[in-house]
Amino acid sequence: MKKGFALAVILALLVMVGLPLSADGHERWDGADDLAVNPLACGMGDAMMEDDSDAMMDGDAGEDMGMVEYDGGQPAMMDMDMAGMDITLVDVPKLVGIGYFAATTLGQKQAAEELGNVNVTTDAPTEANIDDQIQVIDTYITQGVDGILFAANDPVAIAPVLRKALEAGIHVVGYDANSEPDAREWFVNQAEFNGIAKALVDSLADQMGADAAFGIVTSTFTTPNQARWIAEMWAYASECYPDLTWLETLEAQEDAVLSFQQAQTLINKYGEDMDGIFAMTSVATPNSADAVQQAGLCGDIAVVGLATPNGMKPYVNDGCVRDVVLWNPVDLGYAAVYVTRAVVDGELMPGDSSVMAGRLGELMVVNGSEVLLGPPFVFNADNINDFDF
Amino acid sequence: MQSAPRNPTRVDKLRHYLISQEGVLFFIMLVSVLLLATRTDKFLTVDNLLQQGRFMTEVGLIAIPMTYIIITGGIDLSVGSIMGLAAIVLGWSWQTLGFPLELAIITGVLSGTLAGFVNGLFIVRVGVPPLIMTLATLALFRGLAEGISQARSARGYPEWFYQLGQGELLGIPTQLWLLIVTVAVFGIVLARTQLGRALYAIGNNETGARFSGLTVNRYLLLIYTFSGFMAGVAGYIFVSRVSTTRSDMGAGIELDVIAAVVLGGTSIFGGTGSILGTTIGVVLIQLLKNGLTLSGLTSDATIVVIGSVLIFAILVNNFILSRRGNS
Repeated sequence: MKKGFALAVILALLVMVGLPLSADGHERWDGADDLAVNPLACGMGDAMMEDDSDAMMDGDAGEDMGMVEYDGGQPAMMDMDMAGMDITLVDVPKLVGIGYFAATTLGQKQAAEELGNVNVTTDAPTEANIDDQIQVIDTYITQGVDGILFAANDPVAIAPVLRKALEAGIHVVGYDANSEPDAREWFVNQAEFNGIAKALVDSLADQMGADAAFGIVTSTFTTPNQARWIAEMWAYASECYPDLTWLETLEAQEDAVLSFQQAQTLINKYGEDMDGIFAMTSVATPNSADAVQQAGLCGDIAVVGLATPNGMKPYVNDGCVRDVVLWNPVDLGYAAVYVTRAVVDGELMPGDSSVMAGRLGELMVVNGSEVLLGPPFVFNADNINDFDF
Repeated sequence: MQSAPRNPTRVDKLRHYLISQEGVLFFIMLVSVLLLATRTDKFLTVDNLLQQGRFMTEVGLIAIPMTYIIITGGIDLSVGSIMGLAAIVLGWSWQTLGFPLELAIITGVLSGTLAGFVNGLFIVRVGVPPLIMTLATLALFRGLAEGISQARSARGYPEWFYQLGQGELLGIPTQLWLLIVTVAVFGIVLARTQLGRALYAIGNNETGARFSGLTVNRYLLLIYTFSGFMAGVAGYIFVSRVSTTRSDMGAGIELDVIAAVVLGGTSIFGGTGSILGTTIGVVLIQLLKNGLTLSGLTSDATIVVIGSVLIFAILVNNFILSRRGNS
């Protein structure tokens, strides 16, 4: 009996030592891509702190990837220095009339009000149509503005008209959806893959423990963004939460019915052994939550996923889902205006590594010509009702 | 309508032109341009106007066959989808199938032509009403485009490819030349040839046209195929202008085109209309869109104004028509 016990202990030790090793040597988890990963430093709760960008940077572009050279474009020289002077900006999001871009517009207005020397108006097509967006931007070039903010409907198609703006001496800053880098000066990046991955994994480990077992509902194994996130989650968890048990990844396209069924499959297959579900799309998240709720397993199975607040309010408000990970579009619009102001004032130049953005504090420059908004934003019962998109 | 005779004397002719639909529309356009020019000095500049010419070329090209079709009492709702399909086929046959780019352009335009031919075939042979048939293919061709593209875009064309969409010839945007020539040729075809007269005859009374020995089916098949061809050409120009392909290209363009054609005085019930009117319609809408935004209106307010102008112009047209009908 004693011998058996000792043997069990030794075996257990071996397994514990061996697991992280095998995890390192293991191929990536199903649904992950095989691009280079760049996991952030371990630590919980960072995602919710807005002034925590230093911690973010420890494992981020600054060190591992080295400084990527500035790859943005530059406007033609203008006759006069606009530093500190009143500037007029036009914001051309993908479309107007939806909550998400209403939120970015709100952030821009807040920034303009704080700064006092920025006038920003939002104008865009009522449908997310690249041709209409090009025409709107072209018209504002003719009209003559000091700066253009944009969220591109297509990264390549929008590039010629943005280059035209640069040639006309207009400052060009993107947010939310990028263009070809040389067609704008800066792009405010709402969230990096490793940041999202960290926020997701941290949330699950916080809710169900560092030894939780979970399944994943994704779109398809080859969908670029989802594959990137899963790869980063795998890398981050291997380092920070080696005891997490990865059960299975299921594909659900971006289909509501299929997402529900796949979540149900996970619940039925693993039952009590499963503590959580990662939902990788804004369709999978509410539907996985729905499946868990209908199975009466709220609290036993945590659903953590990427989604917009409106779809998740029912589940968050009744406590079935604690955290929804995304970014804060109000802050995104706010940062875009501050970045543009800094560019005009000469406070953000090619090669700089950070920029001050009002209440958001210091934002880091990543990937050459992108300004990182910061860690992802976590929607929970305390704040989700403040958002409408 | 039929009672309005083509007047013989010069004075009558002048009068006819002045109170013709085109004349009134041209007057509305002049007033709009003058009004807009007083509101902003950025509007009435050569650069700006040429740039608008660039933007309106796709709509203008598609509006020509659309005028023909509406004159016969038909409609083609699938032009935007055909444009997207042609664009995707162009990019796909070049990038995925490895065609030489010249051949890929031809393949793209041909696929548009074929799509138009399918429309025409079903309308003529199976007797599906044009509205239903092209509504169906509006979805079908868009689906094909999405399926072929697999949500991927084809980019990185060689420099010469952009000449048509982004280049200039003698200081004028290249595609604008194409639009001007096409408008002239097909305006004359409609006004001065047997084909044109046949289209009016079909629109006024299709059964009558059949009994008087017109090969109605052949004409219809021809104009729907022509519509597909033009949508294909527009797709090519669009890709050349924006330097990438997307499966949602041209989505909703059918409404812009139909609006311009109807604004140009073509009756949706068939029998009347002209390429000149359509051209003025296309130009008027583009100038309003541009001029209103330049003078400080946002895009959503702009489309409200354009809608109002459309209703106003049609009211004036109807008023003139009824007066002419009485006299």
